[in-house]
Amino acid sequence: MTMSLPTEASGYDETFDEVCRILCRVLEVELDDLEIEPESVLTDDLGLESIDLVAIGAMLADRYGPQVNLAAYLAELSIDDVIVLRVGNLVELVLSSGVAAERAVT
Amino acid sequence: MAMMTVNGVSTHYQWMRAAGDSDGEAPIVVCVHGLGYDSLASFYLTLASPLSAAGADVLTYDLRGHGRTARPPTGYRLGNFIDDLKAVLDQLDIHRPVHLVGNSFGGTIAFGLAAQFPERVASIVSIEAEPATESWAGKMGRTFRNVYEAMADDRYLEWVGQTFGSHYVRLTNAATAAIGASTIVEEVALGPLLDADTLATLQCPVLSILGSHGFQSDDLGLLQASLPRCRTEVLPDQGHSVLVERHQRVRQLILAWLAEHESLGQLESPRPA
Repeated sequence: MTMSLPTEASGYDETFDEVCRILCRVLEVELDDLEIEPESVLTDDLGLESIDLVAIGAMLADRYGPQVNLAAYLAELSIDDVIVLRVGNLVELVLSSGVAAERAVT
Repeated sequence: MAMMTVNGVSTHYQWMRAAGDSDGEAPIVVCVHGLGYDSLASFYLTLASPLSAAGADVLTYDLRGHGRTARPPTGYRLGNFIDDLKAVLDQLDIHRPVHLVGNSFGGTIAFGLAAQFPERVASIVSIEAEPATESWAGKMGRTFRNVYEAMADDRYLEWVGQTFGSHYVRLTNAATAAIGASTIVEEVALGPLLDADTLATLQCPVLSILGSHGFQSDDLGLLQASLPRCRTEVLPDQGHSVLVERHQRVRQLILAWLAEHESLGQLESPRPA
């Protein structure tokens, strides 16, 4: 389930921060109230449910455009892979679409 | 989140529109999830994207008492769920016959809509599901109550945690709390029930997808024998959780089904006035 990382390291940090903001909105907590790392598992570590992934997908698409399609990405995974999905997987999904790098230079 | 009020219940729904330009005539697939842990996510995160990529408009919604839809304390008869599905179609101005994909209890709802409003249904894909017959009511009443009581048992929760992990323990506790706060256990099997004569009149094509050791393992051919236009696909080495555990195979079957039936549905459906 790994995806290739982009060469723009600074893009990773900015995208990670934005993904964290989205996760906190879904969880209805303040950013400072939650310890999130790229290795954080969305279900076990953050307590997210599958219905939350629907909202996260919509927010990612709103932020980055339809190229970031979480539902399409998850449709190719097994249920076991979805259960252990990590924050870093969401970041890599955004970066692999190229939109974060585009926004960094515009 | 997209919300609308359906029969007085604030209801969460999601469209995933057909890829490409369909001129508003893409086939409409309406997915109806099951009871308990389930929500529109079980369809939205598995089938919706590939079906929309193939050219279908895909609609999913959370049943009353599930997902992000409100949880009224009462109003959980099967008839309430059928009324909700019809109201969802009406409020979204969907008047062409739709392809219903129902998982478990969602399939029971789909059969109920087809029995009451055949003109609204182009076909049914029934995943580990059956119509609401007397037999279904008996099983549903016993099974749901037994499962609900087991879910609250500490020994069961310990087994769930050891077998499936802490995530499923949290889901179980959340589902137990939601179920206990409503009359769903008492009401859901109360019908309306369908008899053999009514089943024999269901003219929409039906694809029944079953697990080899799912809820219909004692007679995998029974549903097909009960309906005039039903075909069965049995997934080997598979229990009740067909949609979640084998969604890519289910996707293949549904795509083939839509390719086979979509033109038929559009040609034979009555045109809206």
